[in-house]
Amino acid sequence: MAWLESNLLSALVFFPLAWALVGLALPTDSSGKSSSGKYWALTGSLLTFALSLLLYGSFDANGADFQFKELAEWIPSLGVSYHLGLDGISLWLVLLTTFLMPIVILGSFSAVESREKEYYFLLLALEAAMIGAFVALDVFLFYVFWEAMLIPMYFLVGIWGGKDRIYAAMKFFLYTLVGSLLMLVAIFYLVSLHKTQFGAFSTNLLDLYKVQVAGGDTFWSPQSLVFLAFALAFAIKVPLFPLHTWLPDAHVQAPTAGSVILAGVLLKMGGYGFLRFAFPLFPQAVQFYQPMFLALGAIAIVYGAWVAMVQPDIKKLVAYSSVSHMGYVILGLFAMNTIGATGAVYQMLNHGISTPGLFLLVGMIYERRHTREISDYGGIAKVMPLYAIALIIMTLSSVALPGTNGFVGEFLILLGTWQTSRLVGAIAGTGVIFGAIYMLWMVQRVMFGPLKNEENRKLKDLTGRELLVLAPLTVAVFVMGVAPNFFFSKMDTSIARFLEKSRATPVAAAKTLNDQPALARQGE
Amino acid sequence: MDSPIINPEFLTISPEQIRALTPYLVVFGGALLAIVLSVLRVVQPKWPVFIAVLLTALAGAAASQMLAPEAEVSLFGGMMVSDTYSNIFNILFLMSAAFTLLVSFKYLDTERMQHPEYYVLVLLSALGMMLMTSAIDLIVIFIALETLSLGVYVLVGFRRADRRSNEAAVKYFILGSAASAIFLYGTALLYGASGSVRIDQILSLVHSGGAEVSTPLFALGAWLVILGFLFKVASVPFHMWMPDVYEGAPVPVTGFMTTGLKAAAFATFLRVFLGLGYGSGLTAVIQSHIHDVLWVCAVLTMVIGNVVALTQTNLKRMLAYSSIAHTGYLLVGMITGTASADGYASVVLYLVAYAAMNLGAFAVLSILATKDDVGLNLQDLSGLSRKHPLLALAMAVFLFSMAGVPPTAGFVAKYQLFYGAVQAGEIPLVVISVLCSAISVYYYLRVLVFMYMREPVAGAGSDKRSVSPWAAIAVLGMVFATLQMGVIPAKMISAARRAVASL
Repeated sequence: MAWLESNLLSALVFFPLAWALVGLALPTDSSGKSSSGKYWALTGSLLTFALSLLLYGSFDANGADFQFKELAEWIPSLGVSYHLGLDGISLWLVLLTTFLMPIVILGSFSAVESREKEYYFLLLALEAAMIGAFVALDVFLFYVFWEAMLIPMYFLVGIWGGKDRIYAAMKFFLYTLVGSLLMLVAIFYLVSLHKTQFGAFSTNLLDLYKVQVAGGDTFWSPQSLVFLAFALAFAIKVPLFPLHTWLPDAHVQAPTAGSVILAGVLLKMGGYGFLRFAFPLFPQAVQFYQPMFLALGAIAIVYGAWVAMVQPDIKKLVAYSSVSHMGYVILGLFAMNTIGATGAVYQMLNHGISTPGLFLLVGMIYERRHTREISDYGGIAKVMPLYAIALIIMTLSSVALPGTNGFVGEFLILLGTWQTSRLVGAIAGTGVIFGAIYMLWMVQRVMFGPLKNEENRKLKDLTGRELLVLAPLTVAVFVMGVAPNFFFSKMDTSIARFLEKSRATPVAAAKTLNDQPALARQGE
Repeated sequence: MDSPIINPEFLTISPEQIRALTPYLVVFGGALLAIVLSVLRVVQPKWPVFIAVLLTALAGAAASQMLAPEAEVSLFGGMMVSDTYSNIFNILFLMSAAFTLLVSFKYLDTERMQHPEYYVLVLLSALGMMLMTSAIDLIVIFIALETLSLGVYVLVGFRRADRRSNEAAVKYFILGSAASAIFLYGTALLYGASGSVRIDQILSLVHSGGAEVSTPLFALGAWLVILGFLFKVASVPFHMWMPDVYEGAPVPVTGFMTTGLKAAAFATFLRVFLGLGYGSGLTAVIQSHIHDVLWVCAVLTMVIGNVVALTQTNLKRMLAYSSIAHTGYLLVGMITGTASADGYASVVLYLVAYAAMNLGAFAVLSILATKDDVGLNLQDLSGLSRKHPLLALAMAVFLFSMAGVPPTAGFVAKYQLFYGAVQAGEIPLVVISVLCSAISVYYYLRVLVFMYMREPVAGAGSDKRSVSPWAAIAVLGMVFATLQMGVIPAKMISAARRAVASL
């Protein structure tokens, strides 16, 4: 146990991987269908979740910047270290990941029929990579996990996906890779700058925070370019308008589990990247590009909502709603104040609860009817009352009804944005209305009205397993909506520290006046 | 070399020199033994020759491994040198020869060309590579180059009944000879300008800043020597021979060429390149000329290699173009090595990593190839993951590594290479390189699409292949090497550093 206490993060990263590798060796029964692989994977993900709860228990909200730190040499000649650590922000993202994983695995029990063993292996490997990316405090290590995430996802979409799965998988992989390769060049630049300024190579993030990158106030200055390289990688992942086009394809073609993880965790990687890397490393450039990103965030919100409104396919609608919701995250981060940043982190968690819920619900009905066209449904609530309740709860969470988690996040973000720029705040505010329109309209067309389609009469309501899948998410929606302080209490300090590091000019006056000096300079 | 009189000390060999020569003597002796065994005809020769050659290669590698950390020993009156650099490359050549042999054994049976000469030729070409990398005399380099090339020419045309194989051999022979001639001509001009054919003497002349090194004669000589090497490593615009040769040659030979031969050419290129004083005392004009021209070559090589590879449907041809692309990345390393902290260690590391993943990929292809190397189109790999899950997995590892995706050797190698280039201030070049490697991901992944995401198709070569234990060992070994270098690369990096430090 003593070993576990000092290596909790490593254990958390490598446990799912090791478990998955053992799972590959499990014998398959001759029928091939009812293999024990799924139960093995479920157990593994539950154990991982239990491990991550240990993190929650021993995380000290007012303690050091990064806790559970592990530092070991990895490639000394390149200054690469194996450095893990967790702060209040990554704590919740890790918990989100480990929380979603058992749900996803349980949700796939009936959806996946071929090559089960490989499927669950990839899911657990993906979990390992995602946790690794959230806890890595070394840019090399982060990059390794960041890229390693792509491989399982690529196979998940490409093998178990829908009709155009190969196209979607390729597009997903290439889009993400181009962004991250440019980030890699920026990492090289940063690391060699560390060498010039401090005399040694280091990819340790905490060392890199100290590096001064020149400029940041013009396009061609080094800091701007390096920031843009990072921002491109993260913006593709978020995905921020106009780099979002891979998302609808990937979401629609991916199997349900793939969509859930993509929406629930992988998109958060982008927001997390901004928060952990782009902001603290390049404060001046963030200042410089703040208006641009605010504008893009606002466009993403409104555009995503408009496009979602006209989708005939439920899954695509949910996919575009992700674009819209992640726009809020960008807005909250670039508002550059405590309220906005808190809202952004909270919104990441919310989106990680409600959108997976929606995708799971879409997957469940797709398994029954093999169609996702809204027009094929109508009046389902009569035959599937439980399903209707679940869908409505998730929808309300997604449209940010007070009392659900979505409300807290969006409210904080809009408040934060309002302080920074009233115009952007106002535009983003309309997104809430559009969001309500497209989501509720979808629910109305699918759930209510006359039961026109005869095939829908035979639909079976949710099974016990499906209820078990949805129950934790539903509970989370309300807990996060009613008791946000439970979550804030662990991350407040970390967010304050994050803003501290990301402040371009740490003047004394800035503290008392909150963010007003930064505002004035932007001329908003 | 200063006096024409034969110096008595050239004729005696000291014990240290004998020791330093062990790997070469072992390999040479093994090759002779194998020739004898192949004509004995007491038993079917394939087994004794195969075993003898394999053991020789391993013994030679072990000897080099033992010698690697030792001090530099000058051999044959300074015409050759045994240092860490040459010994590390010796290991690479001999291991790639050994793995080629493992893969070939069963392959030759299916192709019905189980002739013992094959193994001997592989070993002799490896000997040529070893000699070439340890030579510091341009004439010796030339001789070694011819030694290895002759072996490889024959190997390329080993499928005698196949026209493509013959065409490849002839094409390779003619173009290879032209390259050798260019190299030799450059050597002559260098000799005319500097009065020496020894790399170390030319370098000290450059360092002393003599008037000889700023003459057009010297510059032209240096250029021709460099061109000869660019030809050998198949840099654009001297790459035309490569796809045809790679496609025509038997699969294991192609694997051997992309790893052993390419590493040998680059290793020697590097030695000569530095010997010409690149980055360390060449006059600014020549230096910037070489830099600029190589810069353009590197970019063209990467772009053309990758873009043309996109359109290939035959895997051998695709890997040939991808090999050209990798030459481009290596050229980036060559250009920028002098100005970065790791120097040329990244080039050495890249060659090792490339050898591991490429040998592996070709090993898989050799297993999959049916008679006359049919069945290597993308289509034929459809559903491979169903028929041969482990082979498909191994191939996936190699392809991800070539694409530079962590945690594989290819990623670490690319990381270090491009990282060095950024330190040298070549940021535009690095941006082009990483974008090119993003292009490459597409065609590597397309293979995975066929292996994993398509159903098996009926047709030529759709039956299950039997995998010989030898080939299985080779594939496993390369998977292990690829992942090992990707996850714990520190040891290999420091070996590469020691190697270039001894240059």
